[in-house]
Order: sequence, then C-alpha cells, then structure tokens
Amino acid sequence: MTENNKYWRGIEDQSNPELSEKLAQNEFSNEISQADFLGNDELAESSTSRRDFLKFMGFSTAAATLAACEAPIVESIPYVVKPDSLTPGIANYYASSLYDGYDFASVLVKTREGRPIKIEPNNDAIFNGATNARVQASVLSLYDGARMHSPMMDGAATSWKEAITKAQSLLTENSVLLTRTVISPALKSAIAKLGLRHVSVDAVSQSNRADVYEALTGVRGLPTVELAKARLVFAVGADFLGDWGGENLNSAYAAARKPGSDMLRHIQAESGLSLSGANADVRIKAKVSEYESVLAHVYNKVANAVGVATVSAPALREDIKLSVEGVANELIAAGSGSLVLNGLNSATAEKLAAKTNELLASEAFNTSRLDFTASGSDTDFAALLEDIKSGDVTSVVTLDTNVLHFSSAMASLAEKVSLVSIADRLDETASKAAVALPMSHYLEAWTDAAPASGVYAVGQPTISPLFDSKSAVEIVNTLAGGSESAVELIKASATSENASKAWNALLHDGFADVAIEEVATGTLDMSDVAVSAPLKGLEFYTYTKAGMGAGSNANNPWTYELPDPVTRLSWDNYVVMSAADAVAYGVEVKAQSNGSMNGNTINITVDGTTLENVPVWIQPGQTQGSIGLAVGFGRTEAGKVGNNVGVNANSLLAPAVSYAEATVVATEVEHGFASVQLAHTMMGRKIVNEINLPTFLSGNAKEWNEKPTFESYKGPLTSFEANLWDDQDHETSHMWNMSIDLNSCTGCGACVVACSLENNVPVVGKDEVRRHRDMHWLRIDRYYSSDMTKEVAEEEGVGAIEKYAKMEVPSESPSVVFQPVMCQHCNHAPCETVCPVGATVHSREGLNHMAYNRCIGTRYCANNCPYKVRRFNWFNYQVNDKFTDVNPSQDDYGRMVLNPDVTVRARGVIEKCSLCIQRIQLGKLEAKKDGRQLTDGEFTTACAQACGSGAIVFGDVNNPKSEVSHLKQEERAYHLLEEVGTQPSIFYQTKVRNRA
Amino acid sequence: MHYESPVRNPLILGDKSYSDITNDIAKPVESKAPRSWWIAFSIAFVMFLWGVGCILYTIGTGIGVWGLNKTIDWAWDITNFVWWVGIGHAGTLISAVLLLFRQKWRMAINRSAEAMTIFSVIQAGLFPLIHMGRIWMAYWVMPIPNQYGTLWVNFNSPLLWDVFAISTYLTVSTVFWYVGLIPDFAMIRDRAINPIQKHIYKLLSFGWGGKAKHWQRFEEVSLVLAGLATPLVLSVHTIVSMDFATSVIPGWHTTIFPPYFVAGAIFSGFAMVQTLLLIVRKIFKMEDYINIEHIEMMNIVIMVTGSIVGVAYITELFIAWYSGVEYEQYAFLNRATGPYWWAYWAMMSCNVFSPQFMWSKKLRTNLVFTFIISIVVNIGMWFERFVIIVTSLHRDYLPSSWSMFSPTFVDIGIFVGTIGFFFVLFLLYARTFPVIAQAELKTILKSSGENFKKHHDEHGAH
Repeated sequence: MTENNKYWRGIEDQSNPELSEKLAQNEFSNEISQADFLGNDELAESSTSRRDFLKFMGFSTAAATLAACEAPIVESIPYVVKPDSLTPGIANYYASSLYDGYDFASVLVKTREGRPIKIEPNNDAIFNGATNARVQASVLSLYDGARMHSPMMDGAATSWKEAITKAQSLLTENSVLLTRTVISPALKSAIAKLGLRHVSVDAVSQSNRADVYEALTGVRGLPTVELAKARLVFAVGADFLGDWGGENLNSAYAAARKPGSDMLRHIQAESGLSLSGANADVRIKAKVSEYESVLAHVYNKVANAVGVATVSAPALREDIKLSVEGVANELIAAGSGSLVLNGLNSATAEKLAAKTNELLASEAFNTSRLDFTASGSDTDFAALLEDIKSGDVTSVVTLDTNVLHFSSAMASLAEKVSLVSIADRLDETASKAAVALPMSHYLEAWTDAAPASGVYAVGQPTISPLFDSKSAVEIVNTLAGGSESAVELIKASATSENASKAWNALLHDGFADVAIEEVATGTLDMSDVAVSAPLKGLEFYTYTKAGMGAGSNANNPWTYELPDPVTRLSWDNYVVMSAADAVAYGVEVKAQSNGSMNGNTINITVDGTTLENVPVWIQPGQTQGSIGLAVGFGRTEAGKVGNNVGVNANSLLAPAVSYAEATVVATEVEHGFASVQLAHTMMGRKIVNEINLPTFLSGNAKEWNEKPTFESYKGPLTSFEANLWDDQDHETSHMWNMSIDLNSCTGCGACVVACSLENNVPVVGKDEVRRHRDMHWLRIDRYYSSDMTKEVAEEEGVGAIEKYAKMEVPSESPSVVFQPVMCQHCNHAPCETVCPVGATVHSREGLNHMAYNRCIGTRYCANNCPYKVRRFNWFNYQVNDKFTDVNPSQDDYGRMVLNPDVTVRARGVIEKCSLCIQRIQLGKLEAKKDGRQLTDGEFTTACAQACGSGAIVFGDVNNPKSEVSHLKQEERAYHLLEEVGTQPSIFYQTKVRNRA
Repeated sequence: MHYESPVRNPLILGDKSYSDITNDIAKPVESKAPRSWWIAFSIAFVMFLWGVGCILYTIGTGIGVWGLNKTIDWAWDITNFVWWVGIGHAGTLISAVLLLFRQKWRMAINRSAEAMTIFSVIQAGLFPLIHMGRIWMAYWVMPIPNQYGTLWVNFNSPLLWDVFAISTYLTVSTVFWYVGLIPDFAMIRDRAINPIQKHIYKLLSFGWGGKAKHWQRFEEVSLVLAGLATPLVLSVHTIVSMDFATSVIPGWHTTIFPPYFVAGAIFSGFAMVQTLLLIVRKIFKMEDYINIEHIEMMNIVIMVTGSIVGVAYITELFIAWYSGVEYEQYAFLNRATGPYWWAYWAMMSCNVFSPQFMWSKKLRTNLVFTFIISIVVNIGMWFERFVIIVTSLHRDYLPSSWSMFSPTFVDIGIFVGTIGFFFVLFLLYARTFPVIAQAELKTILKSSGENFKKHHDEHGAH
C-alpha cells in the first residue's frame, strides 16, 4: 500500500482510522477461546448432542442436494408491457354474435389470458340472446387444427397475395358467388361491390316458405312468433324448439307454459319424434307427406267457420282424422290466441298455415317482423345448376357453404366449373377448389348481422387469428379490389345501418335496435294452393339433430358426444323407424351383453340413388311408413373427428326436397350404436313427477306431489325429519340449492355442452360411450311412457313378472319427459360415508365436494350413488392413444379451450358435478373484496346460465330473497328419490301437461 | 389314552404304527416330484403368468380395460375378492373352531385347509388393491400419520373395515398355521439327508426339541390362537358383507347379509377343501389318513351350510316382498327373471339344490359325486357374489342409468391368474410342507386308529 495515496474505504475510515483498523483486524468479534468453550460446564447440559449435530448435518446435506435438483422448467414468455385490460386469472367478457348459416346468437365470449374459452348467453340481447348446444360448442371449433392454416392453391399452401390474384383471374362475367344465407349488411355490400351473380342456398332449406313471405311482403324472410300471445299452438312438422326458424323460442315457450289457467297448450303433428313433439301436450303421428293435408283439413274447418272458400284436400287417414278435426275445433275456440306453425318446406303448407292464422286473427303470428336467418333460395340454386350444366357458368365462388356435401347435384357438376372457396377448412367443397381462402372463425373475425327486422348485431374478434385467415367480409372485399380492413368495413356498415348505438356502445353490447323496415301487407292468395296427396309407400325425409344442426360444427367432438335428446344416441346418424315398420322390413335393435346396442342396417333407395348400410334405430313415436335420417353427417373432409361418422342424408334427398318415396332392403351388416341409455321407461316409479293441468289447478298438492313418509313413534315423518345423523350447520352460511323445472326443460342439451366446457369434461368417443362410459357430469334423462302401468296391471290382473316386463317397453305413441340429472349434492350423501380415504366430503354450504387428489379410485362411491352421477376416469384421456382423435386435450390447439379454473382429472379418479364451485368461489371472493353480501343471481352455474328456458335456477336458499328459496316453497317442488333419505340440495319441479 | 366308543368309525385306516405315519407323510417332501405334479405346476404357473400380465396391463393402462361402466363400477373384481375370502374361511373354521370343539377328525385336514386359507386370502387381497384406480396411492387406506395435517382415513367406510379385517385375518391365520407346522418341520429336519434341506428345515422348525415343555407351550399357543381365530371366522365375512349391507343399493342394503355371508363362506370353503383333498389323498396316497369318514363329515357341513344359504336366499325374497319397498321388490324380481336370470338360477341350483343330495349316505360317501358337487358348489358361490354385485347394480333406482356387464379378456385373465397363483402356492406347499399335521395325528392313533380300535374291540379295555 502506498503511503502517499490514502484511499478511504468509507467515511468511518477517515473520521476514526484507529477504530476502523481495529475492526478490520478483528473481523470475528467476541471470539471465545477454545478453553473457555470447552470448559463451559453448561455445555454438557446443552440439548444439542453429537447425534443432533449429525442429524442437522445430514439434513442440511440432504436439503442442499434436493435444492440442487431442479424441477423441469417450462418456459413461457411474460408480457413486457401488460395490457391494461388483462389480468392473469381474471376473465374478460366480450359481446359478439354468431351466425353460421343456421344458428344466430348474440353471445358473450369469456376469455382468459387472451383465449376465448366459453360462450355465454347475452341476456340483454333483443334477439336470440340464449345459447343452444351448438352455440355453446362453437368455441371448440375455433381451436380446430383441421382448419386451413393458410390460403391454398392447387393443394399447396400459398400467400394471400398470390391466392387473391389467382382467384381474381378466375372470376369472369360468368362467375357466380354461391353462399349460405347472408344476413350481414357489410358482407352484402362487399358482395354487391364484387358484382357477381349471387345465389344463396341453405343446407337446411326453408326456401319455399320464404317464397311465400317474399311474395306477400316484398321482403324475403320467415315470420316471427310471439308465443306469449298464444294460448294454443298447433305445429305441423315444425320443430320450433329445434330447427324451425332462426328464432330461438325456448325461453318464450317455457314462459308461456308456466303452469296456470293461462298455460299455453301445445299440439304437435309430426312424423318423427322431435324435441317439440316430445314437449307437446298432444302429439299426432302424421307422415311428412300428410302435413299438407293435415293443414288443409284444419284450414278448411276454420275457413268454414269463418265463411271463406275451402281448398280441396285428399282424405285423411282414419286414425288421425278425428284428432285433426278436434284440433281444428280447439283452434277455432282459441280464436286469436291460436297459432298454427308449419315446418314443411312447401309453399302450399306454409300458405295454409299462414292463412289459418290470418283467419283466426292469430296475435302470435307476425308477418311484418321477419326473421332473415334462413332465406336462401332453392329456385336460384336450381337455376344455377342448370346454368352450370349448360356451360353458362364457368366459375363459382363459394362462401362458407359446403355445397358439394349437401348437394349431390352440385357435386356431380363440380368438374364443369373452376371453384374458388372461401371456407374455414378444406372441406368437401374447398378441397376441390382451385383456390381456397381461409375464413376466420367468428371468434377471430369482424362480423355484423341483421338477423331479423329491427335487429342489428356485430361480432368482434376475441383473439388474433390462430392461422393465416381473414374475416369473410374482408376476403370478399379484397376479391372485389377493395383494400379496407374488416373492422373498417364493419364500422362503415354499422354507420349505414343507423344502429341506435355509438360504435363503442355497440361493441360493448353486441347488438342494437334499428328502425324496423316497413313491409308490404297483403293477403295470401289461396287460389294456387294444390294440396299434394300423401305417399302410399314408404317415405323418406331428412331432419336435423340438436347437436349437429346443419353441420357447421362437424369436426367438433362435443357435437358428437352430446347424445341426441330424443334417441339418446351419440356419434351417429341413423334411420329412425317405427316398430311396426321394423318388423315389416325385418330389422331389429338389440342390447348386447355389455349393455351396448346393436342394430341392423338397410339399403335405402330414393329415386335411383342407393345409400348402403344405413343403421336403423327403432323409435317410439315414429309414424309408420315414414323413415327419417339426420343431415350433416357422413363427412369425409371435415377433420379427424368428423370424418366417416354416419352417412350423408343429402346424398339421397337434396335440401330443397322435404320427402320422397323410398324402398329399403335389410342387409346383413350389423351396426353398433353408442347409446347412453339402455332402459327407456320409468318402470312406474316416481322419477319425473308428471301431472295434467286440471290436477294441478285442483290445488291438492299433497295428493299429486305426495312426499314419502316413514312411520315412527312420533307419527309419520318425512325423510328430512327421520334423521339418525348429526347434521352440519346449514343455517349460518350459504346453502346452495338448485331448482330444475321439468316443465320448462325442453331437453335441448345446451346445459350438457356448457357443463362439459366449463368443467373440462373429457370427450371419450364412440366406443367408450357405447360401453356406457360417457363422462358427462350432467345428463338429460329421457323417459317414454309405457302402455303398461301399475293401474293397468291392477285392472287387468297382470302378474308382477309380466307387468315389469311390459313396463320396460315404451308405448308406440309415448309421452316423453326430460330430466336433467347431475350430482344431487345430498346432505346425507351415500357416497361420502363409503369412501375409505375421505376423498368426498360435505361442505357446510350444502355441497358434496370431490377431492381428486385424495381419490384412490375404489369407485365405491359411484356404486352407492342412487342417482349414478359419478364418473370414473377409466383411462388417461389426455394421453391414451384411443382418444387422440376425439379428445381436445390431446391436441395442441384443442387444449387451449380448457378452463384454467378447473383441474383436468387424472386417470383413476372419480369426478362429478361440483355445482361449478369455481364460480361460487369467485363470486364469494369478489363480494369479500368489495366487503358486501352476495346478491342473488350474481353468479350461477354453467348449466343454469346456458339454459335458455330458465329451467335451472341456482342460488342460496338461506337468502330469503333468492329466487331458489321461493322455488323451494313451490307446491310443485320435490326431491328425486326422496325416500332414500339422501336429502339432496337439488330439487325438481313437477311437470304439468296441458291436457285433461 | 383317550378312549373312543367303538360306534365311531376309525379315523386312521390300516395297520399303522407311528413310524408308518411319519414315513407316509414325509414321503412327498422327501421323494422326487411325480410327473403329474410337474404337469399341474406348469399349467398353474402359466395361468399365474397370464394373470400377472393382465394385472400389469390394467395398472399400466387403466381400469378401463375391464368391462365396467358408469353404472356397474364393481363386477368380477369384487366378485372374485369375496369368493376368495369366502373360500379362505374353511381353514380357520376347521383348525380353530373344530379344535375348540375337540373334533378329532379335523386333524387329517386342518393343515391343508389352513394352507388353502392363507393362499386364498392372498388372492382375495389382490383384488381390493388392483381394483383401485390409483394403486400407487393404495397406502392411503392405512391410517398413517402424514404431512397433510388433518387428512385421515374415513372410519365410516366398510372398505376401511375390510382393510383391517383382511389383514388381521391373514396375520392370525398365518401364525396359527405356522405354529402347527413347527413339530412337523422338526420331523422333516430330523430325517433330512441333504444338508441344505436340513438347514432350511432347521431354521423353519425354530429349534424344536420335542421336549415336554415344548409340547406344553405348543398346546397352549394353539389353544390361544384358536381362541383368537374363532371370532375372526365370523368377523371377516361379516365385514365383507357390510361392504354391501351398509349401502343404499336395493339388493345390497340387506341386514341378513352378515350371517348369510358367513354361512356361504363356510359352505364354499369346505367345498374347496373337499376339492383339494380329494386330489391330494389320491396323488400322495393318503387315503388312509383322509378317508371316507372325513369326506362324509365335510359333506355334512356342506349340506348344512348350503341349506342355511338357501334359507337366506328365500328370506331375502320374502323380505323384499314383505317390505313393500318398490325398488327392493324389483331388485329381487329382476334377479330371478331379468337379463341375469341365468346367473341367479345357476346360483340357486348349485348352492341350494345340489347340496341336498348329501342327505343320501350313499351319495355323500361317493368320492366322484363328492368331487363334482364340491366344484359345483364353488361355481355356485362365485355366481352368488356375481348376482349380488352385478345384478343389484345393473338396475338400481333410475332406469336411465341401467346397464349391463360383460367381462373383457382382462377380467377373465386376472381371475384365471389368481386360480393359477393359488395352485402354484398350493402345489409348492404340497411338495415342501407336511400336508397332514402328523404330530397331532399321532395323538389319536391309539384311540382312533383302525387296528387299535379292532384290537380294543377284541381284547377289551385293559
């Protein structure tokens, strides 16, 4: 160290150099001499022994070693600057709209960390705010890896620029733009700008019906109905709870059918058992080819009563004649409260229905406010086919329509034109196209829509496009030479539509009122009505299924896994046939030794075309001489999920044709069905409590909703009073209960899909469903009535064995009931007592908890559950090869749809409904943060939220103001299997049918 | 020496001396294994390996490889479990209860019966383990203090009671069996020529010296263990039956189950002993020790317990009708007339009707007939458990969830595997252990031996 240059290490060094020096020398202060230390007598008394020292050393070594083992690091990229609106763990909601050519819905999109994970209803919406099963499922289609990843040209990926140039080069004066119904004003302007001849055609056609209203009002659309104004609805083939029109009528229907003296009466005449038919009070079995004559007979009867000219109509079958006449009389009696709906794609039928409504002055039938969601034109399409045939059309641009799948006529002409496809995937149409342009999923696209008179809706992207795709409107605009972005186009459209809301408010709400366009009012001309005669032979018709719809979600596993509400079959389409026909054609459906169902197949020939090996399902309630097949199936280019599931019904019958005469031959081939339900009747048990309206109005609830009692020394006790247990305190805190109104439930299945996506319920595929291993936490049981009842047995003196055997057989014309069943959250839960490790336990809030981590999988709980709602993870669905094609969680894209708030369950554990505990906890925490009490309806379960008809109500019964606490006091309320003494937290409301 | 009435049939036939007994019983251990043994062992070993493969496949892939479904969550697994536990009952009953009742005829059969007990309880114990979805967490059923705070087993669960019942039973049976084996091991040790063999039996025989003190302790311990084991005979199957009886499923929720299960267990256990001993006495030429007297005695037990079981079946039916409970009535009607009627009637004919033939002395002393019935009874008892488990579950409260069960090759493979495993153990036992408790048997030679009885008759009491 140099003497001259003194560097101080600190100010202390300078001010007191001696002390610094001393401290520096004496780094370890208070040194204890060794002698002192060892000489310390107290040392011997120290509790730290040599052994302890070794222990501590051993522990330290072990700890240091363990700390050195690194857990695998999963790299993620954090935000450099976090968007203000996005907090990890907090969901954001965006209003949007969906329209896929079949369904329109105003929805809220729940996003987490920038990923849309759930579709929820937009309850404020003025048109179709509810979500059905398909709308709920649509979010998974976003994460479909089978979508086009980039523009394609001659089967190879290319850039947008080249693809557009190529597409433009194919467009000539002889080109045609072929779309599904277009309801987007922005898209309409872009199409106008493109200047091509525009033909729209729908996969599920209402064209002939729309023609009637186009002629009448000058605007192409379908009438809307206000069920609230109706007292009696007579629907002929109109599945208005399903596919009748674009309007979602479930909530209006449920509201109008609230039991009381003014309850809506519903009569359905139809061939196959539809959702609407299943909910009807009276159902008349009519063939599709008889619909026109049924309507004509009703019309004639009404016309006679009013004093206008009748139409000539073929005679009705004797066995339905009386019922149809009865309906006509009822309609006349109900007057302006009556409503006739036609579901046949026939101008004649529609005119008869509309005119009957007009004659009856039906208040519920509205032809001045129209629904535009199904306004494609079969006439235009037929003309197009002619022009292609003659060579007048050389190229076709398809926009979001898989026309080569649903139109075999077009498919056979596809070679004659060059195709440009704007589609989401290389489907049957786009794969044949010279240029395929990827269209964004609605959750990544800007859209707008005018689904009905007076309604304007917008759809906004909630995620950047996953693949190199663009909004449909932008693609068309670019083809037309425009350069505006999608958002600019939609903004411009919103301005020109004069939406009642400013842009930001419009985006926030997702919809706006617009001025209702005045339409011409005329009277229907009945002079050209010619009622066609019913087919003598076997008729074949097509229909839609609740899960599949028109088929836009054809590669979506939830679409297939959702059992059909009526047949309870999943992963299939099949011919529905009456038992009598089945005997005639020699086909059977039989249960196998493992409970799965196998059936025969048939070859169906319609008009020279044969569809081979079509499975047959024998359907109670099916009209004899009429067989139906669901559309949307039989895909070959949908993706790994949807390919080769079922058969293509449209290959026999074009969408424009409603029915045709068919010949069928039974084949040797056997088909395996995936049926989730093996028994179809209630076996005389009080499972769904069902009464008729007069009984309900009599008010004697003790009789029609009798509570089981147990004899005791204290007199008869209910199962809630006869109690051997130490109950939890269910008074102090919340007590979550759920009411399920069996009268409101239409069985549509929206809740089932909503539950699956909220709770990451695994999709297990056909083979597993077939083995009765579906994983649904919430199922909708469907029961048919049987001709044999306990009363009949007693009257006729039928013995017990024969009685029960006959009770298993559903009636040929059954009453149908639906019952959603999930974990009943029993307060005396049989599952809780039997678990050896206490993996399922009860909460003070009335919930039955399931601790997956603790479960060792003995399945004793599932055996001991009287409701059979517990589901076991038979395989590792996230890894096992068997599920690669169907389970979204095995796919890098599909995995993104998983709800991060809910654990994905491992193999070997039981799972079941938790009453959406993640939502309960979130709600409670939010209230706690705000320092307030929870309010009723602040949050609800996924099923209750998805239920358009409001059948499911969830809440806290300890809150006397809550809706559910009022519902619990209802005289219709009862618990399922109350006599078992399980004291469930779920209760049901008795179903009431409006019939004597 | 204990005097036995000449009315009683001799229990040891032929002109046997103590040394004859020793030679006869040590022979299978000391001689080379016959060809038939090797054939039987090979078959059993292949079956065992197949079972091991199926078990590993199940553990590796998931319980989904079985035929179970959302409605029927137990089927062959628990059927096999209860069946094997039931079979195990006869051993303890013979060695403990009959010891307390001083039934001398048990001496010829108790060793093998106990071996059978232990081997079948091992098979039984496998099923509760492998039927778990997460077998690697199986130790959670034990009340082990853990780091999770208050996390503990659920003492309300009958499955937990099973854990204690089965493990206690296995432990006590093994100890009891082993104690009885000590003098016999010593006998083999003393005769062994091969040094390795001698050494092994030396270790096994715990330094037995045959002193009076040893015998005294031996007798005392046997008595104490018999006292301990006797309640277990009743408790184990009672607890197993509670798996079902404490549930809410119609057809399971039945208070008659404990006595009915115990009777059924003894029934099936004796049938299995019968099956095994009929083979053993033939192959190892022990007809003199396990003679028609023994077989007849066991047949009488089978007949009585079979009838008890029959009464239980009929009582169940009566109570179902008498209770007026709709679900209960249907459950039993469905058993007899539903899709699984064949299982019910197989059970009825095997368990209730077939033992009634034993009322005839001619039939119950017929070896071939006995052998057939012993197999029939075990088939019937397997069906009894299948009927209780599967037909109760497959149609319970809500028809929407009704289902059916069909076994997969894995279900079958595991069952066959346990049969293989059982016989692997039993065949190894038969070659290395004295299959008859010779030390005990010698105590009755002079009271129940044929020539001594004859001598006694001829010369009178001295």
